[in-house]
Amino acid sequence: MSDPRTPGMSSVPQAAPVHTDSTSPAVEMDPVEYTLRKRLPRKLPKRRNDVYVNMKTDFRAQLARCQKLLEGGGHREICVHGLGLAINRAINIALQLQASSQGVLQLAANTSTVELVDDLEPEDPDEAGEHLTRTRNNSAIHIKVFYPDPQ
Amino acid sequence: MFTGCGMITGQNQYLIRDAVRPLPGLEGSRPIQIEHGLPSGSFPVYHNQTYSNVVQPAVINNVSIPLKPVPLPVPPPALKLGQEGFKKVCRTEEDSPCPFPGLASGVLEMRVKEGSKIRNLMGFAMARMQGEKGISGGGVSGGGLRQVVFTGSGRAVTKTITCAEIMKRKVGSLHQLTKLQYKVVNEVWESSEGGASEMTVHRTVPSISILLSKDPLDPQEPGYQPPEALSALWEEREGVESSPQTACKRTLGPLPYSSFPHCKRACLGEGVSVHAPH
Repeated sequence: MSDPRTPGMSSVPQAAPVHTDSTSPAVEMDPVEYTLRKRLPRKLPKRRNDVYVNMKTDFRAQLARCQKLLEGGGHREICVHGLGLAINRAINIALQLQASSQGVLQLAANTSTVELVDDLEPEDPDEAGEHLTRTRNNSAIHIKVFYPDPQ
Repeated sequence: MFTGCGMITGQNQYLIRDAVRPLPGLEGSRPIQIEHGLPSGSFPVYHNQTYSNVVQPAVINNVSIPLKPVPLPVPPPALKLGQEGFKKVCRTEEDSPCPFPGLASGVLEMRVKEGSKIRNLMGFAMARMQGEKGISGGGVSGGGLRQVVFTGSGRAVTKTITCAEIMKRKVGSLHQLTKLQYKVVNEVWESSEGGASEMTVHRTVPSISILLSKDPLDPQEPGYQPPEALSALWEEREGVESSPQTACKRTLGPLPYSSFPHCKRACLGEGVSVHAPH
């Protein structure tokens, strides 16, 4: 096990460590190992009143940011965007904003599909495997939080 | 992961954790007093990352009990009722008003749950929307329903949107109306030791309803999306404000914020949490 290149080891290909060199018999059986690298979503519009919600920032910080934009920032409307898992949080922020405004604020939600690109990079640069990309779709939501126009 | 993510910014938020946990010896008496001394309605729980799964003990971020004033500013740690010796006995969803007033009663409603399989949902919904092709042969729009509603709450929200997006792509030229609301879920928790002690927890769960219609809908209604608005959303946005910051994509690196004056302004006063201009 310590040296997968030992000829005698070829009888136990399954047990060979995954990340060994290409000469390892296990690698010949397996397809080339890739690292999956997720690219960032493509360029998005960013106005002052666009808020992109993520799952890394503290929820309250993001909520406070939205509140600041609406109350202190003098914006009549803001757009809260969420992608994938952050959809839930984006909805939450929007609903919380609405609740804390005593129902004055209105919500207009739109959904969309965002194409995401994953890069597949071979683990080992000497490997024969080439660089691959794979696209997949993820759902997104865009919630306009706004004060309705006085009529 | 669930800690501190989401609570009402309101006032008078207290933690049940402090009411229950520090009293290990009194668990028989004190919690009961709490539970029975108050009407069940006074336990509003604002909970964001929902667990609609019945099997798992729910993680509750924030329970308000008017006994021990623990001010909210400290991010409350996730509270696991299950670890406190409580067991969830039943879970009922309160009927929320239909988000689409004036909708015909016979509309197909797809209730998306956390564990629903998209292929099952879509297989059923697509068949209904497209109608039985085999029977009528080639009626252009003769077969099939005109409208469908997808609803989902909590962790099923993403799946709900995905279903609607798939259907829009497959069927084409569908008008969409999206509505968001909170859904109230009542949970009854029972103490496993105390026997008779019960606690009702009200949780609010974000939910989404998406109406897809072959017939035109009111474009003035908030949340309306015209057909084939797939990429228009982005382009329209970019056109709205001749944004000078096309370069302001997610440069989270060592770039100083001063190179993005507008972003800096938006971040002012954010204090501890620094928002990178992304």
